[in-house]
Amino acid sequence: MPEARLILDDITAGYGLRPPAVLGVSLQVSAGEVVGLVGPNGSGKSSLLKVASRALRPRSGSVRLQGFDPYSIGAKDAAHLVAVVPQDVVPAFSFTSLEMVMMGRTPYMNGWGGGDPQGWERTRSAMAAVEVQHLADRPVDELSGGERQRVVLAQALAQDAPVLLLDEPTTHLDIRHVVELLSLVRGLAESEGKAVLAVMHDLTLAAALCDRMVVLHRGQVLADGRPEDVLTSSLLKTVYGVEAEIERSRATGKPALVLGLATAAPMPLGKRAHVIGGAGRGSVLMRRLAELGYEVTAGVLHGSDTDEEVASRMNLLRVSVPPFSGIDDAAARECAALLAAADVVFICDAPIGPANIRNLELAIQAGRGGTRLIAIEESPIDERDFTGGRASELWNELRTNATVVSSYEEALLGAG
Amino acid sequence: MKLGRRRYRRVLVALALLLIVSIFVAVAVGAVWIPPTSTARLFAWKLGLAGRPPVPRSTEVILFQLRLPRILLAGVVGMGLATAGLLFQGLFRNPLADPAIIGVSSGAALGAIVVIVLGGAAAFGGLGVTAAAFAGATATAFGVYRLARVGPTVNVATLLLAGIAVAAMISAVMSSVMAFSGEQIRSIYFWLLGGLGARGWDSLQIVTPIVAIGLLAAVLLAHDLNVLSLGEERAAQLGVDVARTKRRSIAVGALLAGAVVSVSGVIGFVGLMTPHVLRLVVGPDHRKLLPAVAIAGPAFLISADVLARVVISPEELPIGAVTALLGAPFFLYLLRRERGKAESHA
Repeated sequence: MPEARLILDDITAGYGLRPPAVLGVSLQVSAGEVVGLVGPNGSGKSSLLKVASRALRPRSGSVRLQGFDPYSIGAKDAAHLVAVVPQDVVPAFSFTSLEMVMMGRTPYMNGWGGGDPQGWERTRSAMAAVEVQHLADRPVDELSGGERQRVVLAQALAQDAPVLLLDEPTTHLDIRHVVELLSLVRGLAESEGKAVLAVMHDLTLAAALCDRMVVLHRGQVLADGRPEDVLTSSLLKTVYGVEAEIERSRATGKPALVLGLATAAPMPLGKRAHVIGGAGRGSVLMRRLAELGYEVTAGVLHGSDTDEEVASRMNLLRVSVPPFSGIDDAAARECAALLAAADVVFICDAPIGPANIRNLELAIQAGRGGTRLIAIEESPIDERDFTGGRASELWNELRTNATVVSSYEEALLGAG
Repeated sequence: MKLGRRRYRRVLVALALLLIVSIFVAVAVGAVWIPPTSTARLFAWKLGLAGRPPVPRSTEVILFQLRLPRILLAGVVGMGLATAGLLFQGLFRNPLADPAIIGVSSGAALGAIVVIVLGGAAAFGGLGVTAAAFAGATATAFGVYRLARVGPTVNVATLLLAGIAVAAMISAVMSSVMAFSGEQIRSIYFWLLGGLGARGWDSLQIVTPIVAIGLLAAVLLAHDLNVLSLGEERAAQLGVDVARTKRRSIAVGALLAGAVVSVSGVIGFVGLMTPHVLRLVVGPDHRKLLPAVAIAGPAFLISADVLARVVISPEELPIGAVTALLGAPFFLYLLRRERGKAESHA
């Protein structure tokens, strides 16, 4: 199998000092393949698309377009490899549709906008493919949203890039143009071997269009596979918090969504709680907090620990390291970001050894930064200190900045 | 498309005719009327094609020492201001940007004044004032751009507010500098009121090559500015090095504005009106706008200068007052239209 045209490997990315919007995401798109990227608002879809289009440099992980790292080449070279169809483009001055589509040839032009012998031909065929020739002389700012969207698609096609990224391309289109645009995109993948990654809101449409669907939830990949395998009632409930049936089209076998109204699960309070667990001490707390409507985050967790398994099943935004290994700097940084974003942090009375002692340091730091800490002491620190006294020292330091409670029930009350 | 090209050529021809007419009128009218025949014969004599015509010596002096350098200077200044205006409008993605409105001209003026007060006007082989004006213009342009940009866009209100605030600050500094200037105050005032009179061939020699270089540099930015009007994010997706394009546009715009201000003082609205009117005629493509603006800017400023000379002849209006009288109502009209657009979008 040839190497995929777009490869995102273990991408963590975000904006400024905020916690990462995308956390350890890997995905690939091969030539001729259409992959749908779905997930609720704020699940990291757009950020991931930005990472792939050279607009958001990832904090860690690697991006490859046809084998090239777009962040180590210039904007012009990158534009030869990847074209983007954004939701909407409104130019500041009223260019005509023809002028707009010709701008898609920018990567092939010199400074004056010349030096592109195929420019005319490619512009014309891109406009023909999207059927906007008749709009050629109309100013773009006078077009309807749907017409403009198609002009922007033609602009991206004129770019002749092997990888095509679509950001909710059907937002402004009526149903006829939605179908036309999606069949066009499918056709391009099949005939020209383009690799297409499309952020989609409409799951039924995504299922009809895509070879594969990737579900993002809280910045992580929750499912990646054929639409019929990915789109299930339980997934919809977990990810979107809605009750829905999945039916199969008799003609195509593709799944489609039937929504039951007024069954949406209660909305969370919008408060964030972070749990520092270990040895299964955090499991119950994480569940209870989620039931109370908190957005729960967790970490640093160790692989194969009960807490890690529960957090993974609950789909929490979390930071994990392999079993029995220490907490490395990267994990510590990610966890510090989660701690900083939390409204309240619970430190469970887990046994402390060399592998997880750094969790205490992270909590102490967060407490100094003004984050509210609740330390749970059902069992005293000297019974669970496996570091020869260092953990006890840190725990006592932690106590000075934390609300100390003696049971998990009290901890939940204390959360308010 | 063929038709469009023919139309564009016709517009350029019409503008060129306008420029030629404005030059002829400017040569002829003023405190003293010089008939075109005398002008033609004086030129023929200077070129060695004919003997000395029977015109008074004073006419010869007025033509070659006063009017001609003044007209040419108006042309070059008009070209520089209009091109700078086009660059700033493209950069700010806003048709209200103009070197004077966004404070760049004031920045240039401040730079020039500081150098005059410090007695450095003769530095860099007589280019001290020009260099300082360029530095002042560049600093102001970067500053205002930073201030005016909110997220991905430059909003009209923030642009104007930033321009006003910066210009106010600069004029305060200018007044303070002038308070300490002592004997130089006369030369500063003379320079500030400036305008195009009594500048002679010297300043023309300084500013012409700079404007020519700026114009050529602007040509290479034209296409990228087109793409930049789709927003920075989209421009980057289409392969434009956005940061580089912005830096260069500011540098070239400031070079033009700085050079022009250093010889003529602050003249507003040329950079606002010229590109804007032509955009309505030839469309928003900067590659088509640039040649049109480079012809229309001189025609506009030369005509304005004629008005300045004849309206209260033999006294003169400051040229900045004439462009402001023509330009300010136009500016208000644009502002209203922008607001109307914003409301209809909301």
